[in-house]
Amino acid sequence: MTTPHVQTDTQEISHPFSSLIKMRDIWKTYQMGTEELHALKKVSFDVTKGEYVAIIGPSGSGKSTLMNLIGCLDTPTKGEYWINGEQVADMTDDELARIRNKEIGFVFQTFNLLSRATALHNVELPLIYAGISSTDRHEKAIAALESVELGDRVTHKPNELSGGQRQRVAIARALVNQPSILLADEPTGALDTTTSSEIMNLFERLHAANNTIIVVTHEMEVAERAERIIMIRDGEIESDKKTR
Amino acid sequence: MTFDDIRESAVMAFSTLRANKLRSALTILGVTVGVLTVLSMVSIIQGLNRSFADQIESLGSNTIFVNKFEPSFSPQKTQEELQRKELTIADAEAIARESEAIAAVAPFERKLSETVRFKDKQTETPIILGVVPEHSYTMSQFVAEGRFLIDVDIRERRNVAVIGRDVVNALFLEYEQPIGKDIKIAGNVFRVIGIMEDQGSFFGQSRDNSIYIPLTTFQKYYPEVVFPDFVFVIIVRPKTRADVANAMADITDTLRRRRGDRVGEPNSFGISSQDALLDVYNQLTGATYLVLTAISAVALMIGGIGVMNIMLVSVTERTKEIGIRKAVGATRLSIMSQFLIEAVVLTGIGGLFGLIIGEIVSVLINTYSPLPAFIPIWAILVAIVVSGGVGVVFGLYPAWKAARLDPIEALRFE
Ligand SMILES: Nc1ncnc2c1ncn2[C@@H]1O[C@H](COP(=O)(O)OP(=O)(O)OP(=O)(O)O)[C@@H](O)[C@H]1O
Ligand SMILES: [Mg+2]
Repeated sequence: MTTPHVQTDTQEISHPFSSLIKMRDIWKTYQMGTEELHALKKVSFDVTKGEYVAIIGPSGSGKSTLMNLIGCLDTPTKGEYWINGEQVADMTDDELARIRNKEIGFVFQTFNLLSRATALHNVELPLIYAGISSTDRHEKAIAALESVELGDRVTHKPNELSGGQRQRVAIARALVNQPSILLADEPTGALDTTTSSEIMNLFERLHAANNTIIVVTHEMEVAERAERIIMIRDGEIESDKKTR
Repeated sequence: MTFDDIRESAVMAFSTLRANKLRSALTILGVTVGVLTVLSMVSIIQGLNRSFADQIESLGSNTIFVNKFEPSFSPQKTQEELQRKELTIADAEAIARESEAIAAVAPFERKLSETVRFKDKQTETPIILGVVPEHSYTMSQFVAEGRFLIDVDIRERRNVAVIGRDVVNALFLEYEQPIGKDIKIAGNVFRVIGIMEDQGSFFGQSRDNSIYIPLTTFQKYYPEVVFPDFVFVIIVRPKTRADVANAMADITDTLRRRRGDRVGEPNSFGISSQDALLDVYNQLTGATYLVLTAISAVALMIGGIGVMNIMLVSVTERTKEIGIRKAVGATRLSIMSQFLIEAVVLTGIGGLFGLIIGEIVSVLINTYSPLPAFIPIWAILVAIVVSGGVGVVFGLYPAWKAARLDPIEALRFE
């Protein structure tokens, strides 16, 4: 357990451990030949438990890059990141895997489902790595699929499902292990308005049940349903304000 | 790693195999051939060992053989060996006289083949053995009908013969009684006085195609002993198994003295017990084992390289899958074990096929060839351990490669 020792921001929240996510001066730099490409620059923000945050910004502004960092899939080039009060840079590979498994539910922009596996098996996957017995696993996965109204599609493979259904399988997989944070990267990007509003309703229900949610989107209507909107442009936070 | 983990990996492994049928089949074939090679080698050696042990056993127990030459599987003789003096009946008598450890001594002389006739029937193949009455006891070979040779046959150099079953079959009709009949051996008339018990064969050669005549009579007709057509051998039967070593020492002393072998020089004759024959055989099989093991190792290596190749391809093709698994919490160990189990499933199936085919081939060899072949229990274990081991060894590198993939890069892989 590491206590934050950098006291930079003026809006620093008084309780260091009340933030679920705490990022300070995060940079992500890609080396493209001789040139440096800064996908993220001096990003600092906090997210507390139960918050519903939208990240919005133009294409290529660094939203997915930021989500990957929050989700412990990627490591920053520079800067400090605490999740639940633990410094991510200090964690071993296996600890990161455990965080991804237990603390984070990730809904990817491109679904990222196992194409050869059924919806059920896809949803079971995080439970397998959590070491949950097969009977419990089965029950929980079915329950998660039912919560996204896919109870009648459990044996379908991803290519036997519609885009919206795939997205919902991805959401069920993200939720099945009851993570502390749900990260969704453009969850409605590929969907029609009806389906996307269904998914937004689902997120609202999850938020009402005190789940922490971070949603990436480029649609203002989607963003406005969150409590807070972080605007990103060219890798920098342009604005960070409450909607209500 | 839990049982569930392993089951998950095994299920995934089978689904991967199903998704890539041809590729998997070829890889499995490679391992099958490897395991089959190992099994054939083991089977051949085991078969030979068993057959040899049976053969040695059939010679009778703890007999000592004294010969002009040391026992050897090579027909080539050195200059020194070719110039050696013959052993004699007098040597045999001296051996019998001078050792306490000996129950019986039986010298015999042998000619490889001779023409034998009865009426209008003729055979050229029988082995002619000039023997003494003790032969029957020392070799544990007895007459089935009539009688064996007795002292008076030897003393009077009688033209009498005891014949083996093959000779009976070659010369006599089914209803004819051979005993009392006169047969011609190389033109000389001999009276048949007995028929030997069936003795089966020794290294593919029938031992029932023999004619036993008095040693003295033999030496009258064949005064010269010319190797390799003729051999003179002294068979010695020690009193008990415990006397074998003493008897061999006594015989060696007696013969070195009688043949004038100088101190420090090797024996100018060969002396061997069944144990010594086994030693020669074991040396021979030791070398064979080595060669066969090397062949097996190469065959398994080829199978293993196939497995490694396919697993590397599989890891590359499934980079995205690995990324997804890591993203939802798979540790390096889980990914590693998944791919290792997949490799072991591949090689395990190969091993199983190898075992099944090996068993079938072994049965076929037993049925259609004179070679005895069988697969012992430990060979089955070897097949299992070896095929599993090949999977682990050759699957390790691909699995490790998969395990250390960066999750975000793996997810970006197209
Ligand atoms: N692996 C990489 N190597 C080099 N540059 C990268 C890499 N990943 C992302 N980038 C760059 O970083 C910038 C931010 O990319 P990112 O995927 O975060 O954008 P985004 O905001 O999610 O865009 P979109 O809305 O289109 O999904 C882009 O300019 C992109 O080219
Ligand atoms: Mg993106």
